[in-house]
Amino acid sequence: MENQLKLQLPETNQKRSRIRKKIRWTPILFLLPSIIVFFVFKYYPIFDAIYISLFNYDIINPPGKFIGFGNYEEFLSSHTFWLAMKNTFIFFILSLALVFWVPIVQAVFLSNIRRFNGFYRVLYQIPSVLPVVAGVLLWKWMYNPDRGLFNYLLGKIGLGPYGWLNDLHMTKLAIVLPGFFASGGVGVLLYYAAIQSISSEIFEAAKIDGCGPWRRIGMIILPNISFVILIQFIGFMSGVLLSFDNIFVMTQGGPADASLVVALMIQKTAFVQSRFGISAALSFFMFIVIAILTVIQFRLQREED
Amino acid sequence: MEERGGFYKSVTAIVVAASLVALTACNSGDTKKSDASATPSESSTSSSQSAPSSESASPSEDPVVEITAWDLQPADSPIKALKDAQFEAFEKLHPNIKVTHIDNSQSNGREKFLTAVAGGEGPDISEPAFPDMQVYIQKGIAADITDLINSSPEKDRFIDGSFDLATKNGKIYGIPDYMYSTGLLYNKKLFKNAGIDHPPATWEEFATTAQTLQEKNPGTVGFDILGMDWADWHFEYYVWQAGGDLTELQPDGTVKLQFTSEASVKALQYYKDLKWKYKVTQKNVVQDYPENQKDFYTGHSAMILGGSSISDFTGKGMDPNDIGFAPFPVGPSGKAPSQVGGAFYMVNAKSSPEKQKAAFIYAMFFMSKEQQEYFAQFYQDNGLGLNPLTVVKDLDVTKYIKDVPADFVAAVQKAAADPHLEYYLKSSLSSYLVKPIQKILLDPNADPASELQKAQVLAQKEVIDKYNQDVLSGSAQ
Repeated sequence: MENQLKLQLPETNQKRSRIRKKIRWTPILFLLPSIIVFFVFKYYPIFDAIYISLFNYDIINPPGKFIGFGNYEEFLSSHTFWLAMKNTFIFFILSLALVFWVPIVQAVFLSNIRRFNGFYRVLYQIPSVLPVVAGVLLWKWMYNPDRGLFNYLLGKIGLGPYGWLNDLHMTKLAIVLPGFFASGGVGVLLYYAAIQSISSEIFEAAKIDGCGPWRRIGMIILPNISFVILIQFIGFMSGVLLSFDNIFVMTQGGPADASLVVALMIQKTAFVQSRFGISAALSFFMFIVIAILTVIQFRLQREED
Repeated sequence: MEERGGFYKSVTAIVVAASLVALTACNSGDTKKSDASATPSESSTSSSQSAPSSESASPSEDPVVEITAWDLQPADSPIKALKDAQFEAFEKLHPNIKVTHIDNSQSNGREKFLTAVAGGEGPDISEPAFPDMQVYIQKGIAADITDLINSSPEKDRFIDGSFDLATKNGKIYGIPDYMYSTGLLYNKKLFKNAGIDHPPATWEEFATTAQTLQEKNPGTVGFDILGMDWADWHFEYYVWQAGGDLTELQPDGTVKLQFTSEASVKALQYYKDLKWKYKVTQKNVVQDYPENQKDFYTGHSAMILGGSSISDFTGKGMDPNDIGFAPFPVGPSGKAPSQVGGAFYMVNAKSSPEKQKAAFIYAMFFMSKEQQEYFAQFYQDNGLGLNPLTVVKDLDVTKYIKDVPADFVAAVQKAAADPHLEYYLKSSLSSYLVKPIQKILLDPNADPASELQKAQVLAQKEVIDKYNQDVLSGSAQ
């Protein structure tokens, strides 16, 4: 019996250990609802879109006729698609030049403000509380060449009138411009928190060594917050490459396709032409493009590190 | 072409019939005193008493059928009270049909509808416009209601040919809801200020009239042109006026593009002249159509193109006596056809037979004589101005258009005398045509012929070649 007991003890411990391990699924249970929601509303649509993209989708008798990569071949040989791709990347470059860096500058300024710092932080957050569409509609009204605020004010100082959204060469800039004035929000706080986490001793030492503000930004601040910049850049990049709402509200891709981007083409193909197969193919293509760009960005960052 | 020609003949017949109904005021055989001023429930009660069996109230022992209708009016709609009262009347008359009403009045209604259909959540009953109806029949979204229609004694109340645009291969897919014709809407007050006593009748006169209107009414524009992403909608009228069309259906069912035809180029050149030579359009040429309408009813624009439903403007507070309607000015061809528009009630092909029947009963309730009269009376009582065209024979429109200026009614009849359907394959080709139109309106150096040529090449490659290939191989419906 004793021997049996001795033999059983290690087994019992093992069982307990297993039980303990099993008990650890409690946090998983807490996470489960969000995981389910994520799969249902994120992964399922992605996989469903891949599946749909292989069919000449029939909305009444789905999925319709299987055509393999026919949808991909069709849009890749379409002039409209390449125009939309070109516009999408022009928007990306414009946004990068005009919008992306603004929160970084705001955070740098903010980190140097001692008095009323909290007040300014709140001030930067206020624009992000405004619904995007409401803000875009406001800008659209201000751009109106007949009765808009901008032409009225610029007219007072002898400038304009400008066509804004009615000017084929100015449309893209006019769409991106609100981002320059109304950027900020959470981005500023993230950069600000990252700057605050840099040891003040480094700044003190740099000052003693005669390092000016520009060098402090270039040699201390930016390298120390580079990971936050990378994370923000990835979100920014996918956001711009898939931007839809502001363009849809302002121009719906016009005038003369001057602001037609891939996200808008996806929407129009699906809900105006009811060609859901090709729309899904376009969506999956953009998913791949953004995934590739993200991986490249991560690798470049790793090499730099 | 024969098929298209036949189609046009039937369209002409429908509109002429609709006009005649409005003109002749069929009082003679109608001894029933109008009960249109009654409340809708009273009206509906009378409907239940006089209506034939297929339209009679559902027996209370029938199982309850729940249907969804995309017909809820937004809070600011001038006919919200009317529709709500009609919904209530229907509920009383048919307690076994429970209707969930959903608002789909936004400008992206088509997108919302297709999304719902693709998700299996399409409404049991909806009211698509004529061009959409043809697409939905082709895609199998519309239910075949031939048997329901043929067994309904109400069928004969509809004007001759009114089912034609919802009929394919002898099967009926829709119940006529309403119809309108298009023309030139002008602000009589601004015309009077400018000393002009009649609407322009030709392209040349139109341009000079618009110029005079602008000069004599500072702060206004002569004409709000449509340059948004529906720009081809109004542009096609100018192509017709120049003697052509944007597409041509061939005898074998294939489609030939006509973007580069002489008529299309002339029409686009005229657009260019209106904007850059005569300078009579608004600066924001890409604004939405509702904004054009707003410019008109607020007196910022002297002329726009639009439908014969005067209520679009009277509902926003515009005095009906200030609203003029005229056939389009004629172009180089000497003609100015009016576009025939309207809507059908469409039953969802995916709904169960019980729901389809309930949806049919629901639609026919609104088309009943009593409800049509109640509808017309509401328009009159609220000064909204009833559309002089009707799709039912027994609605004496003349009784309800006393508030609509006589010249408006006469102009609608005149415009409707030469009806035209929108160009073939419009839904697929629209985005290709809008581009040259917008280019011309925004770039003074753009050449109409070469812009249309570019659009045609692209549309041929990306749409027509595939479509024609499908037609010839028999896979296109």
